[in-house]
Order: sequence, then C-alpha cells, then structure tokens
Amino acid sequence: MKRSKRFEILDQRPVNKDGFINEWPEMGFVAMKSPYDPKSSVKVENGRIVELDGKKREDFDFLDTFIADYAINIARTEQSMKIPALEIAKMIVDIHVSRKEVLEVISGITPARMAEVINELNVVELMMGMQKMRARRKPGNQAHITNLKDDPVQIAADAAEGALRGFAEEETTMGVARYAPLDAMGLLIGSQVGRPGVLTQCSSEEATELELGIRGLTTYAETLSVYGTEKVFIDGDDTPYSKAFLNSCYASRGLKVRFTSGSGSEVLMGSSEKKSMLYLECRCLYVTKGCGSQGIQNGSVSCIGIPGSVPAGIREVLGENLVAALLGLECASSNDQSFSNSDMRRTARTMLEFLPGTDFIFSGYAAEPNYDNMFAGSNFDAEDFDDYNVFQRDMQVDGGLRPVKEADVIAVRYKAAKAVQAVFRQLGLAEVTDEQVEAITYAHGSKDTLPRDVAADLMSAEDVMKRGITGIDVVKALADSGFTDVAESVLSMLKQRVIGDYMQTAAILDSHFHVMSGVNTPNDYMGPGTGYRVEGKRWEEIKRIPHRINPMDI
Amino acid sequence: MQISQELVQKITEEVVRQIKSRGDDGTKYDANGYRKVVADELGEDDVPSMAGRTRINENKSDYSSYKKAAKGTDPKEIVIGVGAAFQREIKKTIGGIPLDDVIRNVKAGIEEEGMIPRVVKILDTSDVGFMALESAKLSGSGIGIGIQSKGTTVISQKDLYPLSNLELFPQAPLMTLETYRRIGQNAAKYVKGENVTPIPSVNDPMVRPKYQVKAAIMHIAETEQLDPKLGIIEWEGK
Repeated sequence: MKRSKRFEILDQRPVNKDGFINEWPEMGFVAMKSPYDPKSSVKVENGRIVELDGKKREDFDFLDTFIADYAINIARTEQSMKIPALEIAKMIVDIHVSRKEVLEVISGITPARMAEVINELNVVELMMGMQKMRARRKPGNQAHITNLKDDPVQIAADAAEGALRGFAEEETTMGVARYAPLDAMGLLIGSQVGRPGVLTQCSSEEATELELGIRGLTTYAETLSVYGTEKVFIDGDDTPYSKAFLNSCYASRGLKVRFTSGSGSEVLMGSSEKKSMLYLECRCLYVTKGCGSQGIQNGSVSCIGIPGSVPAGIREVLGENLVAALLGLECASSNDQSFSNSDMRRTARTMLEFLPGTDFIFSGYAAEPNYDNMFAGSNFDAEDFDDYNVFQRDMQVDGGLRPVKEADVIAVRYKAAKAVQAVFRQLGLAEVTDEQVEAITYAHGSKDTLPRDVAADLMSAEDVMKRGITGIDVVKALADSGFTDVAESVLSMLKQRVIGDYMQTAAILDSHFHVMSGVNTPNDYMGPGTGYRVEGKRWEEIKRIPHRINPMDI
Repeated sequence: MQISQELVQKITEEVVRQIKSRGDDGTKYDANGYRKVVADELGEDDVPSMAGRTRINENKSDYSSYKKAAKGTDPKEIVIGVGAAFQREIKKTIGGIPLDDVIRNVKAGIEEEGMIPRVVKILDTSDVGFMALESAKLSGSGIGIGIQSKGTTVISQKDLYPLSNLELFPQAPLMTLETYRRIGQNAAKYVKGENVTPIPSVNDPMVRPKYQVKAAIMHIAETEQLDPKLGIIEWEGK
C-alpha cells in the first residue's frame, strides 16, 4: 500500500512508542472488570463471615480469610451490602453526604462490591470522590531523591532543594543496595537543611529498611508490598499475616509506615487468576487495612505500563486510588514512574490526581533529572518543576510545590553537602572533598558531579551497620561540627517517634514539627465553599513563578 | 425494444459492479465503484483477540528425564541458574540478544577470573531474586547468578535475605554482552573475596513504557513452563 504522509508522521509520534495491548482476561490484561471477577456477596454466622464474594469459608484462600476476619466491619456488613453499588456510587459524589457517612457505609462492603461501586463512576466522578474522600484536608507531595552514582552527598543536596521546593516527604533508593545506610544519612541530613520537618525514607530490602528505621536513619517507611493473589504473595515469601507483623515492628518503634500495592503486579508476575486489575487491587487494599496500616502507596506504581496498555487502564488507576481513600487509608497516589513517551499523555494521567488533590499526589516526583532516577524514572522530574508550578498557578490548584529562587537553592544545596562532609568526617566514614561539594552544589545531575570511591563508600556503609551508628550519632556529629540548627531538626524528627502523633493517618509535619493529619486536620469538603481552598499566603506564593514580565522593563 | 451496443455495455458494467460490491475479498464498493468506508461499523480488527486462551505456548517442555541439580562442593564453583523457558521457548532476551551468547559470556567472565561455572535450570520459581539465591545455595562457592529468559540478572550470595542481592540488573533491555561478561567476572571476584566495584548502574527512564507489556508476556511464557516437582535440573547451556 502506498503510504499516507500523514500516517507516516503520526506513526513517529511519541505516544506510538508506548506499549498497548488488547484485553486478555485469562492473563489479567483487563482493567476494570473481568468476566471471571466474582459477584459480591456476604454471609455472617455467629459473628463470623462464612461467605465472601461468592466463596464459602472452606474455599477461602489466605487473602479471603484475612480480609473476612480483619478488614470488614462485620457488625455492619449485612446492612451495607443491602445498598446497591449504584447507590453507594451516588453517595460518593453527593456533596450532601459527608465523608464520614461514606466511610461508615464502605466499612461493611466486600472487595467485589467495592469493584462494582468503582465501575459505576466515570473519571470526573472518581475525581469528585477523591476530592471529598482524601484523608488530609490539604494535599501534599512526595519526592524521589536518587542518583545513578548512589552519591550520598548529591542525595543530601537534592533533598535540601526538594524540601525547599515544598515536598513533605522524600524517598531514596539505590542502584547498589549496599549503599543504603550512607544514602539514608545523606537524605536525613539534606532534608532538614532544606525545610525542617520533612519526612524521609530509604526504599530497600525489607529487613534492611526496618533496621534503618529502628536506628533513626529514616523517619518513615513505605516499601511493605502486598499483592492481590495468594501465589504472588507466596512467591515473595510472604503472607498477609507476615506483613501485619512487619507493620507492628515499625509501630512498636513509633515509626510512620505505609504499605505499597498497585494494579499490574499480578499480571507481571504471571498469577492474576484471570481477575481484573481493579478487583485484585481492592483485595490488596483490604489486606492493607486489615494489617492496621494507616496508609498505602498505590496507583499501579512501578507496574503502570500494564494498566497503561489496556483500555480504561488510567481510569482504573484513579479508581484504585479512590478505593484507598474510601477505606480511610492515606493515599500516596503514584504518578511516580515513567509511563509514557508522550508529554501529553503523561501530563493527562497526572491531572486525575493533581486536580482533586490526594494526600501525596506523587509518590514520588523525581527531584533530580530522570536519568538519575533509580526507580527507573518518574512521571515528572526536576526539568518539569517550572511546568508544574505553572499548572498550580493556571488552575489555582495546590499541587504541594512552590516556586523558589536560584540563590536560595544554591545556598541550601551547599549547606547540605557541607553538613554531610562534616558528619562523615566526625564519624570516620569515607572522605567528601571540597571539590565534590562544589560540583554537587551547582549540579543538575550526576553527570555534573565528581566520581566517588565506590569501594571505600561500600566499606563505610558496612561500617555504619557494624558499629551500630544511629540517628543520635548523626545529631551529635552535626552538633560537634557546628551545624547546630540541623542537629536540632534531626533530633526533633527523632522525637516524633516518642510522641507518636505522626503515625496517625496521612500525617505530615510543618516547619515547627506540628503534625497535620487526617485526624487533627481532616478533609471536610462538602461542595462549594467548603474544604481546602487555595487562598491567602499560599496563593500569593503560587503566583510568584519565575519569568513573569516586569512592565517597567518594557 | 432495441438493444443497442451502448445498452449492452451499460448492463455489463452494472453486473460487474454488482459482483464487485458483493466483494470476494470482503471489500465493499459503492454504486460508483469506490471503496466503501463505513465509519459507523467497526469492521474487522487488525489485531486478533487472545481472549479465551489460557497459555502462550500450548506445549510444555518435559524435563523429567534430566538430572536433578546437585549441591556443589568445589569452592571455586559458581552456579548460574537460568529460567524455565531459557533457550527453549525463549531464545533471545527482551533486548534481542541470543541466550546462547548470554550464557557463553557469563561463563567466559567467570573463567577469566579463574573460577568454574555450572549452569542449572530452575523449574520451581521464575522470580529472579529467588533464582539467584537458589543458585547461590547450590554453588560450591556460595555465590550464584540468576538469569531470567528476558535477560534480567541478579548476583547473590547464599546467606543474603531473599530480596537482597550483591548486584541487580533490573533493566534487561539495556543489557549488552559486555555487561554479561562483567557479571561473570564480578561474581568470580566476590568468590575470591576481593573488594569488588559493582558494575555501574545504567538507567533509561523510557524503558518501562516501551517494554513492560513485552516483559509481562515473556514472564508469563517463562512461568507457564515451571515444573516445581522437578525443582532444579543440570542444564549446561543447551
């Protein structure tokens, strides 16, 4: 066939480099509804659920048992299940029905009924639902702070800049897993230089992550993964019960923690049991709730290429975010993984969470260039900061970030790098040279920094673990080297674990270490004139983007 | 009624047109002989539906006659554990590198550093973390390498936590034969107790949108070849 020049141009468009596939329910390639999804049902006998979503108790797998025993309000389930899915869907978007009333009804429905409810809502209705059901009154944002070299000094500088730009939480991970203790320290120090009160975590293997948390080198944890089928759980050497224990380990030490799940993981691991992504994710979220977790990071997360490949996949992603909110969980709503070659498509996808606002719109946003993002790329990166600030200004929406001045950024990057240099020196760890500090202060990414002695760093990292270095040692090292204000901030972060308030749903801290959570600042949206509004000082801040025309210059 | 030459021609043309419009190849034509494009009919799909199929490969390989992999005793030995579909149902990595070349380069890297490779096929898991850990546990040296058929690779050590590792290469489409050779070399250096510098990470943030669906399909094709009863078998790269 002779080719149309227009089609030749269209074929070259970035969106056509993305992966798309037909629905294939048998392999789990189906977003909202599979012909194999169960029909919702519940039966209670002697205060125990004996039938769940068409299955008798003797046929339950361990997810069903766990959900039936711990995740559903048994006292109210028969009453809630009498309300048709469509009626519940209407309550979710009805501004005259409060968040509290919706939470009460939802507490009694089953995972299959939840999937049926979400199937009744189109994307605009899902966004309306999210605006009302989000736990915290004010939306927030989270950053990824990583680099290709796992350089802890660059992590500190990027963390400081990210904190200054408004991120309430910062997460790192490593290319080389053994760098974890050094990178966790860099992140902890840098974040407090940028803005006191920012929470930090280091995504690593679960036992290591727990140990870093217990030692106070991180201030929250996120990577407790749950899955929607028994087979995938077992493949990960886990059960809902083991996750509940792990959750309790963090709680016992006063650490904030959230779980992680997301559609597509069961498909990627080849064990979807022919169910829809939405239904499986509902099961994950019920398990999360049953484990007693305050929150979840979900919205497909690292598997976004899978729901992104099938029809209605992005509607499903917002749908699963809303399910989290409907269960009363804090929702860190993904947007954290490169998802499309098309700038239009990646932006459109993020608007679904940006416009209604979630507890954390990104989980997280790459606060470095994407080539340095060790989560394999985020949906937005450091080069999109100004675009994002303009979105907030254009639409008068609070996306959790703010415009900053170049001189302020340089100052906090320098201070963070110097603080890490001093702490490493005090603790006898690998050397940080003045040249490295200088390069990192002005760097965009690791292409602009000097190499680290990796073997020496890894020996230092091992040393940190062996010597039992804790957050208190970091505080002392900062104080002894003259960084008194940073030492005080890090100490204040450690105190949160004794106070415990920041373990409440959707908690973040302001610059004075005051908790803002779904408990003391709950979302009270009930239509126009209610809920969080962008106004006052915050609106003035959002207005001040760089590159505005000064009429006096013309 | 007079039958003119002109009328005969007209009738002939009309008949031909009607035959055409019935369309032997399914193509429909309008009264003027133009190809008919009906916007409100979906017509046939270019991409066939897979709905209803429960496997990618109808056949499952039978490895029951293969020797069960033994635990090694040679302290110089490094076990390479390959995926269930390796070199059979799947012959190339997700990036298009022939698996024969992958295995040859990993082995060469190990041998260049004076260690001895042994290849096994893992039939009880397709999770690369566990593949590497199981290989390490079988290995005389305690160091093992797990390689999925799509090319994802992990270097592990027998005492590590299942989801931890010495080195992980998660972005299979970015792997080269040189990387595979260096993986072999580094694994050998861990055996020798050297202070190993890990192979520098590479990262392409656009790998996911381009390859994740293909990765899922390849993983399903690998997972459906598992035969947990057989556990791990000696493979030796063919």
